[in-house]
Amino acid sequence: MLSPVLHRHCHLFLVTGRSEDSRGLGSFQDMARSISMEAAGLTLPFLILTFLTISAASSTNQIQILNAERRIDLSSHIVKVFLTLKVENVMTAPASEIVLAFPPAQADHLALVKAQAAIGKKKKKSYVHLDVNPTELPDAPNGTKYFSISLLNPLSSGETATLEVLYILTHSLEPFPAEISQSESQLVYFRDSALILSPYHVKQQTTFLKTPSTKVESFTRVEPTKFAGRELKYGPYEDHPPYSFSPVIVHLENNSPFAVVEELLREVEISHWGNIQITEHYKLVHAGAQHKGVFSRVEYQSRPSFSGTSSFKHLLASLPPRVHSVYYRDDIGNISSSHLRSDYRKSELEIEPRYPLFGGWKATFVIGYGLPLEDFLFESPDGKRYLNFSFGCPLAETVVDKLTIKVGLLLLIICFHDAVVVLPEGSKDPSAAVPFPVEQRLETKYSYLDVVGRTVLVLEKKNAVPEHITPFQVYYTFKPIFMLAEPLMLASVFFLFFVACLAYLHNDLSIRK
Amino acid sequence: MGSKAAAITSPVPVTWYPTLAIFMLAIGLIVSASFFIYEATSSRRNHSLAKELTTGAVASFFLGFGSLFMLLASGVYV
Repeated sequence: MLSPVLHRHCHLFLVTGRSEDSRGLGSFQDMARSISMEAAGLTLPFLILTFLTISAASSTNQIQILNAERRIDLSSHIVKVFLTLKVENVMTAPASEIVLAFPPAQADHLALVKAQAAIGKKKKKSYVHLDVNPTELPDAPNGTKYFSISLLNPLSSGETATLEVLYILTHSLEPFPAEISQSESQLVYFRDSALILSPYHVKQQTTFLKTPSTKVESFTRVEPTKFAGRELKYGPYEDHPPYSFSPVIVHLENNSPFAVVEELLREVEISHWGNIQITEHYKLVHAGAQHKGVFSRVEYQSRPSFSGTSSFKHLLASLPPRVHSVYYRDDIGNISSSHLRSDYRKSELEIEPRYPLFGGWKATFVIGYGLPLEDFLFESPDGKRYLNFSFGCPLAETVVDKLTIKVGLLLLIICFHDAVVVLPEGSKDPSAAVPFPVEQRLETKYSYLDVVGRTVLVLEKKNAVPEHITPFQVYYTFKPIFMLAEPLMLASVFFLFFVACLAYLHNDLSIRK
Repeated sequence: MGSKAAAITSPVPVTWYPTLAIFMLAIGLIVSASFFIYEATSSRRNHSLAKELTTGAVASFFLGFGSLFMLLASGVYV
């Protein structure tokens, strides 16, 4: 009796994959749904039996979670989870880190994990950012992935601390039905656990799910469960051992725009003559339920609240202030349906692709703009120059599957961040300081008036969300005298022309005297 | 924010680019015109190589910088 339940439990993890996989798994969805209903009743005692026999590492007995509150925000296609933990050190040795556990399917879709500690009481509360790093623990059950939060001050025996954790999941809402027509609303599955997965004993825990609308088709009941308005409450649950897991599936309606950028290439070209030129190549796709059947433009335009509720046609890009020469084009040519509004703090570019995007539809376009050099290029105290630029995609509420920044310096050596930073010719030793892990490499690009080529520094990141829009720096050395190379090159070309004229005029090329 | 780092700007103010381009190109074209007039009017024997080379050098200097500023003023930030 134990092994079939375990086998089906594993299937539950497998089914939570990307939406592309869901097309052939219709029967799996139903099976998983029915299994979760019966497994919910069986899982609790089964898990308590199984995991109590697994000798837990001594560190997991050290911390006890007194109260855990988890708020899951499902209003957009990016799932944001806010976890508040009140932990207590029950052993004598001081604890310097708290470990968070995630099921392997969720860990693959984690875009960001941030933690902060609350200092002070009610009125004087302030938050201190804590470092979060992925970690490994021995004998992790079922392939659990871990992240460890380093505390500022080690927790001494009997002391409690309150931590706030934010983690963001992408591609976690699976559209079901996988294909919808133009006039249908989009329904998605969200799979998670009613019990917070943790390597520690949890005394009391509650989970709140915030849904975008009041329409929820079904949800797994793990008593006590309450659904009112837009909030689904699981809990409070008392006294659960480590690694308790109770899978639930919530089938809800989510018509927020599922804008996913499959690939984004940002080229940043730095010219020391006063301009930074940015070119962004987007491959945008609607990652919600696939559109089936015909697209009727008449129905779409005459009944906008009924037809195409899950489609989107506007995208908002936040650009820095003092931006100039903005263009928006694709392979066909310029796309004129865009608006640029700028004030002294930011510029907003609202773009409208040539057609509204329904499930599975793609759009490829290029956005380019120029920025003044003095806003972004600075001199560091050790004499190096650095570019302070913001990573991340300027489009609001989009997930970027693969983000490449190429930074290039215009002038001899160009560094591209992939954000490709193109550094000017003559620049040496490029290096990047980015707050989160990225892949780096160097390339060479030949641009205007180049002899040697510009070094390009390429940074790549997978699975980027709007919370990744943070500044990063690229350091390089550059001697300003190299800027003279370009006008001197032009002047020497003209001089060669005059010398050629002289040579022609001075030489007598006549055949007959 | 941290310490206020010194912002790096272009050595020549950006607003001067169009003016500089026009003036430098005008001077360069005038000097190159004088070069060709000298070639055309003075007789073969009286050519002074030094004068020709200096005129050519001055003309190419102004034309080179003028074309650079013309490229910058028209948006090709080289």
